[in-house]
Amino acid sequence: MTAKKLTIGHLYPDLLNLYGDRGNIQCFRKRLEWRGMEAEVIPFLSGDEIDFSKLDIVLLGGGSDREQELVCGFLKDIREDFKTYVEDNGVVLAVCGGYQLLGKYYKTDKKTIEGLSILDITTEWQPERLIRNIVLNSPLFERPVVGFENHGGRTYIGDHTPFGKVFYGLGNTGKSGYEGVVYKNVIATYLHGPLLPKNPQVCDYLLEKALQRKYGPDTVLEPLADELEHKANSYIVNRYSDKKYILKETIKRYT
Amino acid sequence: MRLRSRLAVTCAKATSSLIKKMNRGSGVTLPGLVARLIDPGILKEMSSQVRGKTIVTMGTNGKTTTNAILCRALESEGKKVIINRTGANMLNGIISAFVLNTDKKGRLDADYACIEVDEIASVGVLPKLEPDCALLTNISRDQLDRFGEVDITYEKLLTAVKSVPKTTLIINCDDILSYSLAENSGNPYVTYGISEQIFDDISRSEIRESIFCRKCGKKLEYDFFHYGQLGIYHCPNCGWKRPDPDYTAENIEFHDEVYSFDMDGAHIDSTARTPYNIYNTLSAYTALKTMGAGYAGFKEMIEAFDYGNNRESIFTVEGARVQLHLAKNPIGFQQKVSLVLKDPKPKDIIIQINDTYQDGEDVSWLWDVDFQYLADSNAQKIITTGTRRYDMGLRLKYEDISCAAAPDIKKAILECAQKGTKNLYVIVNYSGLYRTNHLLTELEKGIDTEEEREGGAKA
Repeated sequence: MTAKKLTIGHLYPDLLNLYGDRGNIQCFRKRLEWRGMEAEVIPFLSGDEIDFSKLDIVLLGGGSDREQELVCGFLKDIREDFKTYVEDNGVVLAVCGGYQLLGKYYKTDKKTIEGLSILDITTEWQPERLIRNIVLNSPLFERPVVGFENHGGRTYIGDHTPFGKVFYGLGNTGKSGYEGVVYKNVIATYLHGPLLPKNPQVCDYLLEKALQRKYGPDTVLEPLADELEHKANSYIVNRYSDKKYILKETIKRYT
Repeated sequence: MRLRSRLAVTCAKATSSLIKKMNRGSGVTLPGLVARLIDPGILKEMSSQVRGKTIVTMGTNGKTTTNAILCRALESEGKKVIINRTGANMLNGIISAFVLNTDKKGRLDADYACIEVDEIASVGVLPKLEPDCALLTNISRDQLDRFGEVDITYEKLLTAVKSVPKTTLIINCDDILSYSLAENSGNPYVTYGISEQIFDDISRSEIRESIFCRKCGKKLEYDFFHYGQLGIYHCPNCGWKRPDPDYTAENIEFHDEVYSFDMDGAHIDSTARTPYNIYNTLSAYTALKTMGAGYAGFKEMIEAFDYGNNRESIFTVEGARVQLHLAKNPIGFQQKVSLVLKDPKPKDIIIQINDTYQDGEDVSWLWDVDFQYLADSNAQKIITTGTRRYDMGLRLKYEDISCAAAPDIKKAILECAQKGTKNLYVIVNYSGLYRTNHLLTELEKGIDTEEEREGGAKA
């Protein structure tokens, strides 16, 4: 029997390449390889043709506002295929700018950038950026999800299911108490860090969904030795479980 | 001089001596704050007392070294120069540098001022300083959690230089962001750049900022990259391209761990061990020529110049050669990886990653460095330390490079020095630099208790 293999499409790394998105790719790749499976990563540069039927995972990363506007032009050409892929339970990880672009629009102070309309969400820009470490509790996982948020956009998710409840940090709008969106096999979130290495539970969740879609529902992932991953995760969780620390950091932030 | 300014200077000095007496740090920012509260116009008053010219140095990488070269060049001609200390590059720190250099009457005795300015602080500082020249090293990804995005840094710098339209910009034209900023600012500008390919493959990481044309939005074509987004570019659509630089370094050669090059008709046998210091030297020279000072004896000065500047220092601890390096952003770290790879000998490496506000609270940038090369670095042991030692450890783990985490950098250094390869690289990010430098200085002198030694052996 040949080794199982997943094909990962990295969308527009030439435009959406902020904040170590490579970390998410590398995490997908290594966690497959360490289990004796194969990973093929295909970077699609702006203007390239994308055949979604050949992809098992799609990663849509973050970019600056200016670059996002450039991306918008290319998105029109792939909108229908991307939507079909998502409705057919295709696995997607969309981070920050990628999260915003899955929605209907991103309204900045200067203009409105049209999105893919795959999710029924909208984003509006405000001058004060939401920047800090963030800890979420997600019903999908036992272990908290940790990361770093840095966004000017406030995302209104309507009736969608959030990715997690904010334990520490600001989240979708800074006020709603929730972060991200989960829709079918799509996880869309503001969390950088990058997201996956410190949250191997999220990585394995997405890998398992992709493997099951390709190789049948019985496919399961063997556990890996994740001691270091858990230490990195717990370091942030413990830090923000400490009220004194939070007070100290808050005072520093405003002085 | 106004009475109010006199009072501001007096109070600032009193604050400084009080801080020193109480032994509460070096006191480089609070005096500036005090002076500014008493006299909001203090910086304008101070800078107007500089007899010759004022130059500011800004940009992501190389500010401190470049500023030090400028200062030394001017001083070697017997000029009196005001300079702000490393790290004191926000408004208050800059004011401190001026007021603490005044005489008893609160007057400055200075021919030139060489001031390093933080990119975010530049908007507030430049209109008050009204510098004759503004040197821009490069604009790239640094501390994104503070600046948000590189475009925000760009906008801040553009606003800052537009507020002083007479200031001549000294621009790295290999950097599309810097060059586009110069074109859009309306300020007069002079360019410098390197036209030959000198950086190795390891220096060129995959991170590239804004490789899209700043004029028409189409993808730029590059003949080659130096590192980051620096390189020789042109737009196939609208024809926008890297200009021929006004000043350049050429015939660049690397032998016996140092670089030599030709610049403006002179051959320089530099002490620079890293290629980016050629940029720093070239940019400083361009600025000096533009200001019309400090360039006559430049060759002699620079050939004796110590680029170390505490940022790259070499120590001997327990008979081991210990090098301390600062790496605070992806491009800087990539250069250090390249430097480590140039040394074929067996070695140990300690990497300290902290996440204080000055470091940048977001450590995502570690994933933008091509660490996979360290697999071929002949490293016997790699130890990660600092508040984010597990994040750094994960970064290496996901390249299949084994490493260990240690909470205490001193123990880690001693362990490597005593039992390791006697060739140790310590790479730290911003907040760890001064403490580690101090620690290594003490260890070199042999100041260390037996108790700690035992602790080190056990670790």
